[in-house]
Amino acid sequence: MRRALTLWLPLLAFAVFLLFPFYWMVLTSIKPNEELVSVSANPFWVSRPTLEHVKFLLTGTNYPRWFWNTMAVASAATLLSVSVSFLAAFALARLRFRGAEGVSLGIYLAYLIPPAILFIPLAEVMLKLGWFDHLWALVPVYSTFLIPFCTWLLVGYLKSIPREMEEAAMVDGASRLRILFQIILPLSVPGLVSAFIFCFTLSWNEYLYALVFMSSPEHKTVPVGLATELVRGDIYQWGPLMAGALLGSLPVAIVYFFFVEYYVAGMSGALKG
Amino acid sequence: MGRIRRRTVLGWGLGLATGAFAQAQKPEPVFKPEKDATLRLLRWSGFVKSDEELWSANTKKFTEATGVPVSVEYITWEDVRPKAALAANLGTGPDIIMGWYDDPHIYPQKLVDVTEVADWLGKRFGGWYDVARTYGYSNRMKHWIAIPVGGTVECLTYRTSWMKEAGFDAFPTTPADLLKLARALKAKGHPAGFALGHAVGDGNNWTHWLLWTFGGKAVEKDNKTIAIAQKPALDAIAYAQELYAQMAPGVASWLDPNNNRAFLAGEISLTNNGISIYYAAKKDFPQIAEDLNHAAFPIGPVGRPTELANFSQAFIFSHSRFPNAAKEYIRFMLSPEQAGPWVEAMNGYVTPALKQYRELPVWTKDPKATPFRDGIARMQHNGYAGEPGQQAAAALAEFIVLDMFADATVNGMSPKDAAARAESRLRRIYRS
Amino acid sequence: MRALSLDRGPLLPTLLLLPSAVLLGGLLAFPLALGVLLGFKDATIGQPGEFIGLENYRYLLTDPVFRITALNTALYTLVTVIFKLALGLLLALILNQRFTGYRFWRSVLLLPYVVPTVLSAFAWWWILDPQFSFISWALVKLGLLRQNLNFLGNAWLARASLMVANVWRGIPFFTVGYLAGLQSIPKDLHEAAALDGASTWQIFWRVTWALLLPLTTILTIFSAIFTFTDFQLIWTITRGGPANATHLFVTLAYQRAIPGGALGEGAAIAGFTLPFLALLAWGALDALRRQD
Repeated sequence: MRRALTLWLPLLAFAVFLLFPFYWMVLTSIKPNEELVSVSANPFWVSRPTLEHVKFLLTGTNYPRWFWNTMAVASAATLLSVSVSFLAAFALARLRFRGAEGVSLGIYLAYLIPPAILFIPLAEVMLKLGWFDHLWALVPVYSTFLIPFCTWLLVGYLKSIPREMEEAAMVDGASRLRILFQIILPLSVPGLVSAFIFCFTLSWNEYLYALVFMSSPEHKTVPVGLATELVRGDIYQWGPLMAGALLGSLPVAIVYFFFVEYYVAGMSGALKG
Repeated sequence: MGRIRRRTVLGWGLGLATGAFAQAQKPEPVFKPEKDATLRLLRWSGFVKSDEELWSANTKKFTEATGVPVSVEYITWEDVRPKAALAANLGTGPDIIMGWYDDPHIYPQKLVDVTEVADWLGKRFGGWYDVARTYGYSNRMKHWIAIPVGGTVECLTYRTSWMKEAGFDAFPTTPADLLKLARALKAKGHPAGFALGHAVGDGNNWTHWLLWTFGGKAVEKDNKTIAIAQKPALDAIAYAQELYAQMAPGVASWLDPNNNRAFLAGEISLTNNGISIYYAAKKDFPQIAEDLNHAAFPIGPVGRPTELANFSQAFIFSHSRFPNAAKEYIRFMLSPEQAGPWVEAMNGYVTPALKQYRELPVWTKDPKATPFRDGIARMQHNGYAGEPGQQAAAALAEFIVLDMFADATVNGMSPKDAAARAESRLRRIYRS
Repeated sequence: MRALSLDRGPLLPTLLLLPSAVLLGGLLAFPLALGVLLGFKDATIGQPGEFIGLENYRYLLTDPVFRITALNTALYTLVTVIFKLALGLLLALILNQRFTGYRFWRSVLLLPYVVPTVLSAFAWWWILDPQFSFISWALVKLGLLRQNLNFLGNAWLARASLMVANVWRGIPFFTVGYLAGLQSIPKDLHEAAALDGASTWQIFWRVTWALLLPLTTILTIFSAIFTFTDFQLIWTITRGGPANATHLFVTLAYQRAIPGGALGEGAAIAGFTLPFLALLAWGALDALRRQD
């Protein structure tokens, strides 16, 4: 009874609020067009489901290509950003050095002008470097909005890890770097996982840079590809659009699904030891 | 006229044949492409898939004829702007961009003089509509900076049976009658709906028509004196308030696709739109397609048609290393052997800026497409009565006119206050 | 011995910070400076423009649209961040328990954050549609409403609707952050507190909340930034309409700079966010320092 109140009831409420739009997205991706724009039909149901939209998405567009592009860019940008940020976060959270505050403020300041404006001056830099229309160029570009966030996030996690273990290791004569990799790293797994998720989804979502800095059709990412090829004037191809959004979200959800276990085990194990 | 007709028949009238006409026209390029030229074109993605297919096929023909490879990038029409802005600002990027409205007039000094191309095409294919010339020719530079391609003309789209039910046999031709029709339609439970949200196409188009047809304008001919808070504009606003009372609920938030959906669902009886509703209906809702029809916007006190439509033009950046190849490409693509089948394939979505193309069978084969044929002739340029340019582009991008009407209808402001608000922002834009 | 030398002095921190510095310095600091500079010019697209000092800023302060936008941005950020934090933490506390299918729920409830914003915005756009909203449909069917709700057509309703969509998208951000944070709180602390006779509420407040505070600071700050600079959601659903009621700094800046061509003014609007965000950053740093 108590369990129902503290767990299942609120969980149900959250599930309804957070998942309802998905229910709609799923319905849309299997609804035939006549049913989609009908005010009389029950919007909560589909009477004649169709796989046409999904089929069109996979065969009539370059979706698989966009998918792999996004996958590659998002994974690379995430790996780069998380590792670079982890090093920086360690320095900021654990080493005392002069100018630490200046540095973290500096890293943070990087966020101050939003991409919607920043893209024009950034384009000048891209141009000088000759990075236009190279898919990999999105990796360092994405890292610019991932690193500040990741660094700060990891600083936060690192600060919550008790210092005693390190101190014990230091007494044993371990070097800072060894401490970093042998003690801090395993302890930071949950923080790294969430940083990883954040980075991956942020890169997966990115629209503007991918739109303006890439120009070949074969360099499109999922959001850009869907929004530029399935929206024709004032006609939106709702079915394939929503099917594309859902298919594109699956990998992250699956990755997370498998991480969850490791994530919990990793931490509690480490703390006991 | 007779001559043009004959040539039309030779060129494309009997299908998509290129035979006789293509041979009569020497394959020799008019503008000789540079050695080893390559081109990049950025254009809006087609409103129908067949647009891109035909465009790509024509591009292939161009490459075969001249040896110049062209890579074409298609993106959503609204996303062309940021990319064009980058190209203009950085001096690098595509050689040719097919953009919208005032784009080329924002950075005329960065564009290649295309007067020769405009003259060549204009002389041979029936001439340019006046409004097309205004969009293509820069008064500042004293030459053509862009080649007009055409506009996605909008018409009033209505349900014939419901119009008859409301007691009208023919579609109204004056704003006063239009209001009567809207009243009668609402009384029958089939209201009209015109977008008042930030709908870049539909919302801007109908509100500009309304302002202009009452004789209103944002700015005088000197491109400096703001004229929005004058009587004609106030009349137009008062009219909009009455019309708004007859509209379907929710128009305040409508963007471009909303009216398509509402019309197809039978929620509204009358709206302004390109031909897209008709084609969507033909595909999925044959009864609605059967019942709907199109009409030009009514004409008010000003006494002449004053429509606004999204207008596209092709311009060449001076950073292009192959301006001649680019000119030749534009000339080639807009010549009848290519453009004829292309316009046909678009089913009337885009009305070309060259007069000869009004002879294409697409406009008469289905009488419901005919009202779109002369849409360019009915157009006024954005920024009227001033000049196309950065100021006009800014006023449109900020929805000044549209928001003036929205303020007076949705937000219940008085016509005077709404116009005053528009005026103060226009002052800033035109720095007057 | 070599390891020891690395341990002292500024060499190790420098090495550790170098990669971030290179990436951020090259790709951000420079364009950022250019962007700030742009705010002091009357540049338009394709024209570098001239220095006009603070003219853009001065004008904006008198511009009614800008003022509404400033208000909107503040309100939008404040309200949504509070809701996201509270609901996100609550969800994290729920999901932190072990129960049947917890893995499934943890990954599934993350979905709103995972779907590209452009596309989830399309979904919300439809959900909030004046004609096709299924919320309206259900309420009308149930007899609770006579006609459809005009979610986006009225200024305040539109603001509220966009906030709900933003909260929907942002809850998992806090949840994911807190789930990891909750793992790092040693269990024995809770047990000790329980033995001392503390109530559940006291345990939460004194132990859990207190230990999560540094993390909360960071999550809040960044959520605030992401909300402050939210673009996709607004641009897709309302374009800042009806009649400029829902513009945020970023959408207004974009509208004026890119489609409108007034680069300088757009950059100045973005420039207005600088002091706010800098203040936030300072507050965060300070909070973190005090926790040490």
